[in-house]
Amino acid sequence: MSLATKHTFATYKKNNTIENGDLVVLYLSKENLILIRIQEDQEFCCKFGNYKHADMVGLQYGTKLGSNTGRGFVFLLYPTPELWTLILPHRTQILYIADISLIMSYLDLKPGKVMIESGTGSGSFSHSIARTIAPGGHLYTFEYHQERVAVATKEFEEHGLEGLVTIECRDVCKNGFGLINKVDAVFLDLPAPWEAVASAKQAFRQDKIGKICTFSPCIEQISKTVTALTEQGFVDIQMYECLIRFNEVRILQISTLDEALEMERASEKKRKRALPRVLRESFKNRLQQHEQGSGSNTDHDQEDMEGEEKGESTVKKTRVDDGDHSSQGTSTSSTVGTPSSRSYADVFIPDDSAEPRESIEPKNVAVTRLPVEQRGHTSYLLFATFTPATQQPSLTERNKAGAAITASK
Amino acid sequence: MAALNPTDIINAGEHVFIKMPSDNVKCIVLKAGSSVSLGKFGTFKANDIIGHAWGNSYEIYDRDSKTRVYHPEGISEVEETANNNREIVDDPTSQKLTLDDIKALKSEGLKGELTGEEIVNKLKESHATFDKKTAYSQAKYLQKKGKKFHKVFTPIKPTAYSVNEYFYVKNPSKIRDIRMDTLSQLLSYSNVHSGCKLLVVDDTQGMIVSALAERMGGKGTILGLYDGDNPHYDIVKYMNFNQEILDTIKVLSWLRIHRPTDEKTPDEMQDVTQLTGKDLEGYHRRLKAYNIVEESRKTLFEGNFDALIVASQYQPESILEKLLPYVAGSRPVIVYHGTKEALLETSTWMRRCPNLLAPQLTESWLRKSQVLPGRTHPEMSTWGTGGSLLTATKVIDQPVQAALTKRERLAMEKKNAEAKRLKRAREEAESAASSPAPAPAAASVEDVADEAVGGKEEGSASTTVMDDGDESRSIKRAKQE
Repeated sequence: MSLATKHTFATYKKNNTIENGDLVVLYLSKENLILIRIQEDQEFCCKFGNYKHADMVGLQYGTKLGSNTGRGFVFLLYPTPELWTLILPHRTQILYIADISLIMSYLDLKPGKVMIESGTGSGSFSHSIARTIAPGGHLYTFEYHQERVAVATKEFEEHGLEGLVTIECRDVCKNGFGLINKVDAVFLDLPAPWEAVASAKQAFRQDKIGKICTFSPCIEQISKTVTALTEQGFVDIQMYECLIRFNEVRILQISTLDEALEMERASEKKRKRALPRVLRESFKNRLQQHEQGSGSNTDHDQEDMEGEEKGESTVKKTRVDDGDHSSQGTSTSSTVGTPSSRSYADVFIPDDSAEPRESIEPKNVAVTRLPVEQRGHTSYLLFATFTPATQQPSLTERNKAGAAITASK
Repeated sequence: MAALNPTDIINAGEHVFIKMPSDNVKCIVLKAGSSVSLGKFGTFKANDIIGHAWGNSYEIYDRDSKTRVYHPEGISEVEETANNNREIVDDPTSQKLTLDDIKALKSEGLKGELTGEEIVNKLKESHATFDKKTAYSQAKYLQKKGKKFHKVFTPIKPTAYSVNEYFYVKNPSKIRDIRMDTLSQLLSYSNVHSGCKLLVVDDTQGMIVSALAERMGGKGTILGLYDGDNPHYDIVKYMNFNQEILDTIKVLSWLRIHRPTDEKTPDEMQDVTQLTGKDLEGYHRRLKAYNIVEESRKTLFEGNFDALIVASQYQPESILEKLLPYVAGSRPVIVYHGTKEALLETSTWMRRCPNLLAPQLTESWLRKSQVLPGRTHPEMSTWGTGGSLLTATKVIDQPVQAALTKRERLAMEKKNAEAKRLKRAREEAESAASSPAPAPAAASVEDVADEAVGGKEEGSASTTVMDDGDESRSIKRAKQE
C-alpha cells in the first residue's frame, strides 16, 4: 500500500486531493453510500451511468461529479469512521453514533489512550476509537468468531489502521484478555460481559484511574454485570440509555381560514355556482332571527351588547377629542368597531364589494416531523470506574500508627 | 508500562471537582498546604490528596482533618422479606434519638470517634419501625442517611465529560444547555482528531472549544471567532490543559478579520530605535498582540478547515454564509443551538445551499437509571433539554449536465434509430451497387448519421446546466428512476 493511504480513516489527507490508490466514499443518496479504492483503469457503474476513476483523480474530496450519461451525479467524500458506520457490511448488530459518542466521552478517549474492545463485531466502533486515540494510543480488540476476525483484519489494514489496532481471535469470557496492567479503558459488548470483568480488572493500568463500559440490550444482563463489577471493586456504577431523534424539517404552507374561504369563493364565482343572491339573503335573515330569539332569553347577552355599544361610543368620543388629528384614527376606530357591530352571522358573510382574490400566498412555517418509526432501544450502557491501587498505608496500618502516636503522647 | 503522566495525578494549583456524600459537586483550585472545607462533611488537607492518582475516594476521619482512602463496601442484593408498609404510619416519634442526641453523634463523628457508618447504624437501631420497613425502604433509608453523615469525598478529574456534567447541573444556561450526549455527538460528527484544523464560533463559554482541544491532544489548530472585547472561553480554565494544548486554541475577533484601514502596525506607530524603558516594553507588548492577530488572520485566510462548528447566539446562516468558503471539501459543518426551533430556518437554508450536503437536524435523548441489585429502574426525574445539532457536509458544487428529459431522450432515440436505418440502407446500397463512384444520395445519408451520433452530446449541452438549487430536484428524479 502506498504512503498516500496511510491512516486514511484516522487522519485527513493534507492536500485533500484524490489520487490513485486513495479511498473514496461515493455518496449516491442518504441511504446509498459506497466505499471504493481509486484504480485509474476502473470505473464505477450504476443505473445512472458510469463514473471513471480516472476522472476522480486530481479532484478535491467533496466534489460533485456527473456521470457519463449526465443522468446522475455523486459526491466524492472523504472516508471517516462516521461514514463507515453507515456503509459497512453488517456481520453483527453494530453500534451507532449515539452510543459510540457517549461511550467515547465517558471512557475519556483522546490521543494516547490504550483501550480494550470486545467483541470486534463488524468493526463500527473500532474505527471511531482508532481515530480518537491516534496517535500514540492503541486499541486491543477481541473477537471469538474466526471469520469476523479475518474480515476485520483485512478492513483495518485497508483502512490504514493496522498500526493502531491489534485484533485477536479469542474467547475472552473463557480465556481472559491476556493483558496485564496495560489499558486505560475497557469496552465490553458481549453476551455475558460479567464473565470478562475479572480479567478486565487485571488488564487495567493498576496505578491510575480506569473506565469501563459494558453494552447489553437486556436488563438481566446488566444486573449480572453490576454484581460482577461490584465484586471486583469497581465504583461509581451508572447506567444510561441514549437515543437520537432525527427530525425531518418541512415547510408547511398555512393559510388562514379567511384566505381559504376567499379562494373557495373565487373558484365558486368562476364556476358560477355561487348561491343566488336571493338565497343568500334569506339564509342571512334566518340566522339573524335565530340569534335574536336565543339572545333575548338572557339578560346577560343584552348587557354585553349594550356594553359593547357604550365602548364604541367612547371610542368615538375620544376621536372627537383628538380633533382633526388624522384619517388614520378614523380607520382604526372603524375597524375596532366592526366586529361588535356585526352580528355573528355577519362574520361568515363576505363583503360583496371586494373582488375575491384567486391566489393567496399562504404563510410558510418550518416544522419538524419525527419518523413514524424510530429506534426505541439500542442497549443499556453501564459505566463504572476502576480505582487505582493506593500508595497510602492501608486503613489498619494508619489506625495503628495513629494509636501509637496517641499512646506515646 | 509507561510512567504516569502529570495528568494522571492530582496536582497542586489545578482545578478539582470534589464530589460530596450528598452527591453535590464542589469546584476548587487545589492549593498546596491549604485546608478545604466541605461544610458539614468536614475539612480535608489539600496535601493529603496532592500527588495521588485520580480515582480514589477519601474519608475524613478525625478532628485534625485526617483523610484515608475509602473503599466502599459492596452493594448487597436486597432480600425480599414479608414486610410491607401496612403498619407504617407517619410518626415523628419513631426515631427515639432526639435532635440533640443526633447533634452529639455528629460532633463525635467530626472528632473522629465515630465513622459515618457507625452514626447511620445508631440511627437505624434507635428507629422504632425500621425492622418493619420493606427491604427496599430500609435500603433507601440507609442510603439517605449515608448522604448526610458519611464523610467521604471523591476528587474528580476535570475532563470534557465531568466539566460538562458539572456545569450542566449547576448552571446549564452558561453552556447554552449543551448536555454531555449532545456534546459527544458533536465531537463525533466533527471527526475531530489529533492534528486537524477547526473553525469554531463558540458561545458556550468555551465548553465546545474545551472538548475539541481535549480530543486534539495538543496537535492542530482551533480558530475561535468571537465578538465583544474578549473571547469568553471560561470553561477552558477548568480543564487543566498544559501549554501545548492551550497553544492549539487561537482566537480572532469578528471585527479584526479584515485589518481596519486605520490600523497601524506597531512599527508604523513608533520608531523602535527611538524607544527606551517603558515605551519599549509597551512596543513589544503591542507587537506581540499584533502578531497574534496577524497569525490568526493568516490561519483563517489559508482556509482548508477540517470542520466548521457554530454554537452562536446569532442567526446561524449569517455566520455560515461568511465562514463556509474557508472550509475544505467533504468536511463537516455543525450548528448547535439550545432549541431546535432556532435551527429550522437554518436547516431550510442549508438545503438550498449548493455547497452543503444532506443537512440533518437531530436531538438527543438521555436517561439515567438507578442500578442496584434487584432495584434497577430509570431515575424518577430525567433531563429535559440537551440542545439540538444541525449537521451537514461541505461539498464543492460544480455544474453537472442535467439529465435528459423523457422527451429529449425519445427524440434522441428516434434520431439515432433513423440514422441507423439510413446507415443500413446505405450499406445495402453500397454492397448492391458495384458502381465505383458513390451516389450523391449516400453522401447526404452520411451527414445525417454523423449528426445523429453527435446529437446525444448536443442534446445534453442544449439542456440547461443545472443551477445551484436544483440538486434536490435531480436527486429526486434520480430516485424516481
